[in-house]
Amino acid sequence: MKMIGAFLVIAASTMAGWVYSTLLKKRLHLLNALVQCFQWLETEVGYGSVPLGEAFMRISARLPKEVHVLLSSFAAELNGTAGLTADEAWQKILTQNREGLALKAEDWALLTDFGWTLGTTDREHQVSAIRQTIARLRHQATEAEEECEKNERLYRYLGIAAGTLVVLLFY
Amino acid sequence: MGYAEQVLPFLVPRIRWALEKFRRVAPEKWVKLEEIRLRAEQPLQVEGGQSLFVRADGVPTTRPDQALKVEAPDVLRTVQLMGGNSLYTLEEELKEGFITLAGGHRVGLAGECLVGRGSLLRLKRVTSINIRIARQLKGISLQLLPFLTRDGRPLRTIIISPPQAGKTTLLRDLIRSFSNGEAGSAPVKVGLVDERGEVAGSYRGVPQLDVGMRTDVLTGCPKREGVFLLLRSMGPQLIATDEIGRPGDLDLIEEILNTGVGFITTAHAWDTKDLALRPSLQRLCAQGLVERVVVLSRRLGPGTLEGVWNGRTKEALLSQVQRLEVKG
Repeated sequence: MKMIGAFLVIAASTMAGWVYSTLLKKRLHLLNALVQCFQWLETEVGYGSVPLGEAFMRISARLPKEVHVLLSSFAAELNGTAGLTADEAWQKILTQNREGLALKAEDWALLTDFGWTLGTTDREHQVSAIRQTIARLRHQATEAEEECEKNERLYRYLGIAAGTLVVLLFY
Repeated sequence: MGYAEQVLPFLVPRIRWALEKFRRVAPEKWVKLEEIRLRAEQPLQVEGGQSLFVRADGVPTTRPDQALKVEAPDVLRTVQLMGGNSLYTLEEELKEGFITLAGGHRVGLAGECLVGRGSLLRLKRVTSINIRIARQLKGISLQLLPFLTRDGRPLRTIIISPPQAGKTTLLRDLIRSFSNGEAGSAPVKVGLVDERGEVAGSYRGVPQLDVGMRTDVLTGCPKREGVFLLLRSMGPQLIATDEIGRPGDLDLIEEILNTGVGFITTAHAWDTKDLALRPSLQRLCAQGLVERVVVLSRRLGPGTLEGVWNGRTKEALLSQVQRLEVKG
């Protein structure tokens, strides 16, 4: 009986460590997908002068599921009849998706900032705002990558170690 | 799709709701609607034979104090919505001062301007919006066709009228009739230079209003370049353009006439006397370049035909005042 309990404790903490390390990885993937998305957006806005609703609809189709959901719901909001401005729609969608995405507070802050001038200025200014966002996302992505490399294994081992420790203490 | 579905989604919800209620409360006024006007800090106005204000509950009124007041952010936001929330797609429009919505509805803009080196760069802050409802009245040109053709060939025609009397509506239907070859006339290939996008009501390049099966439309192109582009590449038998009136337009027409292609256009003027007072247009008639002059007014309501004149001899071919109607 004791053996089973000990096994369960170790299994659970290993799992926790593993989940935490995958979250790090997920964030990195998300940030990279967002960089890609904003690069496409730059082309759509800068060269095609395509309206945001259409641009995001097109871009979202080419992106992984989580980002796809975020961007396609934004596009749907813009194309809908609620009469929201681009910024209002953007903030609404960000709030709605906050729980579901493995991003950190500083990533959210960056995305929030992006909404401020969205769709309200001329093309030149839009492109420069998009470029700025890309630069900031890249910075976050590099940071995430370093964190991933450094801590991914650490969290996994920590999970196993913590479980083993608990078992040793109470066994 | 009616014009309500084409226009209302672009208005801010507060105003959209009032107009949706207005449509339900006063359908007889709604179907005659010509303009919806939004001015910052002024009551919501609609024009349709009569100038009225609209209350928040949709009831039309003549008392401005009861009407729904349009706020400055309402106007700005409406412009943003018309640009698909992407103001950068409206750069050219903010320079020209109008937007064309899907369905050919023309939205005029006014407000604070941004000027650089003495010329208008663009509208910086829009405070007035005028939405003009485009209407297609298929068949209104049919009764005029016999006067505007010879042996089935369209004659060089100019339609003149004051604002809001149906110039563009008549021009559109004439183009459609010539292009389709209606009422016994031989079908012709038409090249339409739709500088302001009002005639064909193009949205993303595709005409939303019927301008005929043999019509090639060049949207948003300056007349001069547009006409020559069409002549070079599309082989039109009839060139149609929207409103002329700028000094350069006249030379353009002369050049078109030299190519032997038919021509039809419109101009702003109150009547033939007024036409004669405008130097650029006067020359046209004096030289006999225009074979037919069609005059419209609002005397019996929009689309009142004042008459048809022979441009060369000044002889009246049709002088009975009547309203142009769609004959079923």
